[in-house]
Amino acid sequence: MKKYFKVFPILMLSVVLVLSACGNSSGEANYPDENVELIAPATPGGGWDATARALQNVLDEEGFVEQNINVENQPGGGGEVGWQYLSDQNSHSLSVNSSLILTNNLLGQSDLTYEDFTPIATLATEWISTAVPSDSDIEDGIDMLDRLKEDPKSLTIAVGPALGNNDHLSFVRVADEYGVDVSELEFMIYESGGDVLTALMGGHADVATMSISESLEQHQSGDIEILATTADEPIEGAEDIPTWQELGVDFTFPHWRGIMGPPDMTEEEVAYWDETFSQMVETEAWQTVLENNGWQDYYMNSEESREFLEEQNQMYEDLVETAGLTD
Amino acid sequence: MGVDWNSFFEGFMTALSFQNLLFIFLGGLLGTIVGMLPGLGPATAVAVLIPITFGMDSTSALILLGAIYYGAMYGGSRSSILLNTPGDGSAIAATFDGYPMTRKGQAGQALTLATLASLIGGTVAIAGFVFLANPLASFALQFGPAEYFFLLIFTLSAVVSLSKGNMIKGFVSMLLGLIVTTIGVDSQSGVYRFTFGNPHLSEGIDFLVVIIGVYAVGEVLYNILVIKDENQQMKEDVGNSWITKEQWSRSFWPMIRQAPIGFLVGILPGAGGSIASMISYTTEQQVSKKGEEFGKGAPEGLASPESSNNAASVGAFIPLLTMGIPGSGTTAVILGALIMLGLQPGPMLFQNQPEVAWTFINSLFIGNIVLVIINILLIGLLVRILKTPPQILYPIILVLAFIGTYTLGYSIIDFFILMIFGVIGLLMKILNIPVAPLILAVIIGNMMEQNFRMAFVSHDGFLQMLTASPISILFAVLTVASVFLPALFSRLSKGRTES
Repeated sequence: MKKYFKVFPILMLSVVLVLSACGNSSGEANYPDENVELIAPATPGGGWDATARALQNVLDEEGFVEQNINVENQPGGGGEVGWQYLSDQNSHSLSVNSSLILTNNLLGQSDLTYEDFTPIATLATEWISTAVPSDSDIEDGIDMLDRLKEDPKSLTIAVGPALGNNDHLSFVRVADEYGVDVSELEFMIYESGGDVLTALMGGHADVATMSISESLEQHQSGDIEILATTADEPIEGAEDIPTWQELGVDFTFPHWRGIMGPPDMTEEEVAYWDETFSQMVETEAWQTVLENNGWQDYYMNSEESREFLEEQNQMYEDLVETAGLTD
Repeated sequence: MGVDWNSFFEGFMTALSFQNLLFIFLGGLLGTIVGMLPGLGPATAVAVLIPITFGMDSTSALILLGAIYYGAMYGGSRSSILLNTPGDGSAIAATFDGYPMTRKGQAGQALTLATLASLIGGTVAIAGFVFLANPLASFALQFGPAEYFFLLIFTLSAVVSLSKGNMIKGFVSMLLGLIVTTIGVDSQSGVYRFTFGNPHLSEGIDFLVVIIGVYAVGEVLYNILVIKDENQQMKEDVGNSWITKEQWSRSFWPMIRQAPIGFLVGILPGAGGSIASMISYTTEQQVSKKGEEFGKGAPEGLASPESSNNAASVGAFIPLLTMGIPGSGTTAVILGALIMLGLQPGPMLFQNQPEVAWTFINSLFIGNIVLVIINILLIGLLVRILKTPPQILYPIILVLAFIGTYTLGYSIIDFFILMIFGVIGLLMKILNIPVAPLILAVIIGNMMEQNFRMAFVSHDGFLQMLTASPISILFAVLTVASVFLPALFSRLSKGRTES
């Protein structure tokens, strides 16, 4: 009997060692060693919630993370409530983010910005479309810009759900590049993307700016007509739609989604997620998620994401000023 | 799309498969239960239960989500009738006559009647869906900001006019509601109004918190503080569960004629069950020969809004399935879930996957019948709630109210808002101020404001907005009529009795 008591601690130790080696392939610290919390700073059913739940599914089913992954909904204030919450958590909490993490701050609605968090990855993007009703007499994207250049108030532009979002700012960007007086543009703000689409199909707005995933099918069925997209190359399955670049307005505008963690994560922890996400984006399961949601792969690791955020922040800062949203 | 009878029958058979029947039953039962709880209406019911559909075949998932939605619509009126605590905006109108029926000792009959009304409303609307989906979808597109504004203001004025004899109190209630909706970020200008630097308030106060506060918490406080005599609180007698011939014949035509109204309102993106049931209740009261019995337990006063809001919930699927536009909060949640499952509801659905669309439509029909059975069977169980001693029942309602509130925003701040509105509800009951105008104003206030501003900009002025289309004029006339006609009628009839 005594013998066993002596052996027991050694056995235990080796079990722990083996387990920790399994838990973390990089062999560094034992991270993550508790349940991982994925914060969706929105109510169930929205885009951020969809992203978080998709990540939970793929990471879990493909066996990337040994620990349980839970999705935590923290809605409110365009992400503000969820990100406030994240800033007080330990490194086992991550949150979905998008350009709102930049614009909330630039528009003076939040004290938090990207620098208050640890960038983990940029995962996917949507591109943004400019569309008109199918019976519109606007011929193409350039025709629309010409009219706005002549009289910025000549067309009503539907957007939702708030000024300062991607759909709005991408339109400001293209109009600004073309030399339109963007501070005079007449935007109609609808409660959701669905309402924008209804308004456009009913002819209650002259132009609408919204995600391609919200407009593509209606374009294909002939209910509306997409004039151009902010993409860097033609959209798969809809090669007839030109990009703004092809029309001669030189810019692209992604509506990206990514992941970030609380401040002060260690290098090892960030490295763990870099390895995990770089493998995850290669999986079939993730490709299906992208396809179902109409997203494009936009993977950047933590370091690239940090640079990307800086660059985006600069662009949004200029844009918010041009749009006359800071006063 | 025309009716493609082949796909229709194929869909019918698919919906009848054992697996799908099981989902209809499960979804209906879950929805009914969740819908009964205060604050957990259809949108929350669907959102909370979405994870069940992960990994399911997309048709079955659609059927399950539809059944949950439907079940919640049936369940919503249960607590309105029994406890005067609606679970959702669309169940508010059921309190007007449903609860008085309970107080008269007709709880069982009220529940049966509401269930049958839901069945009739749902069935009429499904028939409308099958034959008229496409023309109606384009009808809905006629509604621009001006038309919406006048529709909404008509709904408000119709509900205010319900407070007959004391319209001032109705107006006070409505104004209070409109003031509440000014809290939060203003979507047109991005200005933060009355948020006091609290990010949680930036999205405004959720109307469901107001409903739970004013009704559930207010009702409990009122019963505890004001009604001292415990015997007076609840009728022991819950009556028959089967309705009388008189109740049926009084309710039959109202149910039939309010279904199309609810259906049409449901098709309009953003309008939905709350507006449909309010409009149906008020129009029914105007046309009824026994209008003066409304609010005192008139069976048709319960049957018409219940028929209407179920018809509206079917109508809400039309923009979703024909155009890919969610017509209500619940269908928006369903749309999100379907996209995750790789199904794109939209203009191409009936062309590319007709079997999915038709299976779903048939599942709605079958679901209606299944739900009637579920709900009739549950009546015996539900009326026992009334026999629960108040010292047990009220704490349970309060706990449910807090749970329901938490699921809305996952925030403690909502608890304070809940209590504030509980006290407001209590005061309003004591002062005999109607609460429906307040609730309706909170539900539609922001939408009304934003549509007014957009209409004002795109039509360059109020007169142009009014004359924008026949629809605007129609609703403007109805608005004026709803305020002045009841007063005029009562004066006329008074004059007649005096002379």
